[in-house]
Amino acid sequence: MKLFWFETFKTFSRWRTYISFTVIGLIVILTEVVMKLSANEIVYRMLRSFQKDFLVTGNILNAWFVTAFIMNSLHIHIPFLITLVAGDMVSSEATSGTIRFLLIRPPSRSRIIMAKYLTALFYTALLVIFFALVCVSLGLLLFGSGDLIIHHYGKFDIAFIPESEIPLRILFAFVAAIWSMSVVASIAFLFSTLAENSIGPIIGTMAVVIVFLVLGNLPLDFFRTLKPYLFTTYMINLWQQFLNIPIPWPEIWRSAIILGLHNAGLFLIALFVFKRKDIKS
Amino acid sequence: MKKILFCLPLLLLLLPQGIKAQEDAFRYLDPIEKKYADLKDYTADVMVHFDIETFKAPDMQAKLYYKTPDKMKVESKRVFFFPREGGYFNPSLFKKEDFEIKLLERSTERSAKLVKLKLTPKKAKRGIQDFVLTIDTDSQLIREMGVTQFDGREIKAVIEYGRFDRFELPAHIQLKLDIPSFETEGVKEFDQLIHKPKRITGTIEIRYSNYKVNSGLSDEFFKEPASSKGM
Repeated sequence: MKLFWFETFKTFSRWRTYISFTVIGLIVILTEVVMKLSANEIVYRMLRSFQKDFLVTGNILNAWFVTAFIMNSLHIHIPFLITLVAGDMVSSEATSGTIRFLLIRPPSRSRIIMAKYLTALFYTALLVIFFALVCVSLGLLLFGSGDLIIHHYGKFDIAFIPESEIPLRILFAFVAAIWSMSVVASIAFLFSTLAENSIGPIIGTMAVVIVFLVLGNLPLDFFRTLKPYLFTTYMINLWQQFLNIPIPWPEIWRSAIILGLHNAGLFLIALFVFKRKDIKS
Repeated sequence: MKKILFCLPLLLLLLPQGIKAQEDAFRYLDPIEKKYADLKDYTADVMVHFDIETFKAPDMQAKLYYKTPDKMKVESKRVFFFPREGGYFNPSLFKKEDFEIKLLERSTERSAKLVKLKLTPKKAKRGIQDFVLTIDTDSQLIREMGVTQFDGREIKAVIEYGRFDRFELPAHIQLKLDIPSFETEGVKEFDQLIHKPKRITGTIEIRYSNYKVNSGLSDEFFKEPASSKGM
């Protein structure tokens, strides 16, 4: 535990750790202000396929809709911000030449790598929590509350979630988002144990995430069969399931377990690599 | 030439029949128009229940305001979806001068005499291709209304009436929807290009209560605030 707090202190002493929080804050503020200014256009585009058949009234563009809207871009920008720190956890020690000093101290390599991994996960959780707080609080301030309408663009498909159910569902969705993003942190962490500098793990992790996302979204049968084998499928699906009617718990548990197995597997590989790391050369 | 000479008298013989059929059809709409001539406006509580697979929503409640000839407004504290076609009663909708009218059939159902009319708008409005009305000629009420739109949307309303004040107004409307699942306008997604559009079917039940008739609603009341025009 002492090692974990030591690593956490070290991580949060670096200014680059705060880049992510600043970027997230800016993205959310900018998005919500623009959404506020172009509210009518957004509602029109969102409900275009319904306007022909239905007269729609009420506060559709509310804090919960805006939060769900911004969360949809979670799999694009948050992984990059996570890799900035998680991809630097071990490789920065090699870059700055402190890895030898670290490993000749009494704590075992397993304990050191465990503390660093937990710090990476802690940072990931804090980033998503910060994202959630900014999204929801600014959303409530600018747009107010209301029922949540989840609509699949261009299709006659809608899920209407009553206002009373939303806070709990959003809370679950963000917990699921933390769990999803922990896989990105695990990949970046593994790459970090393999590399001697921080650029490689950051670029490597983003390459994996982007390639998997692209493959999983290509509308061709071959890639559709590939989709269940890509972790990104479960990464996106997991939090979104909490905004379905009814909540598909078996699917959620399945996604959570698959992502958990990814985390465990990636950490074990990182542990194996780190334990065998040659620091003499 | 011989063929033309043969067909011409035949056409001349059939033409008055066509005009007569149209006049015949008109006479079923006139009594309805007269019956509701004194209805200037109404207010009612509506409860909407959706039974559509891709439209997962709880029952919704709102207050509906109507003023002749075509002003309508719904007010709800919460998000509210209300069907545009067939969802509310508008006695001024079927003015005979606005339609080409054709009598489709006469029938009797539970001792009520029914006629089925096909109304084709003379001027295209809201993409409507035609209406098919089933009118109870004894009580002068529209029992069923079918709406077909040019983009393939088909809506059928089955209306049950109750007596409110001195008017017979809808107490329950059941809407049967059969519409394309994808947007029929604008840029299409890749999926829409490679797959044939599916159709969405389902029903919407609308219950009306607490009618207030001819309370003198002003035109200004129906004007939308500028900020909500897009909604």
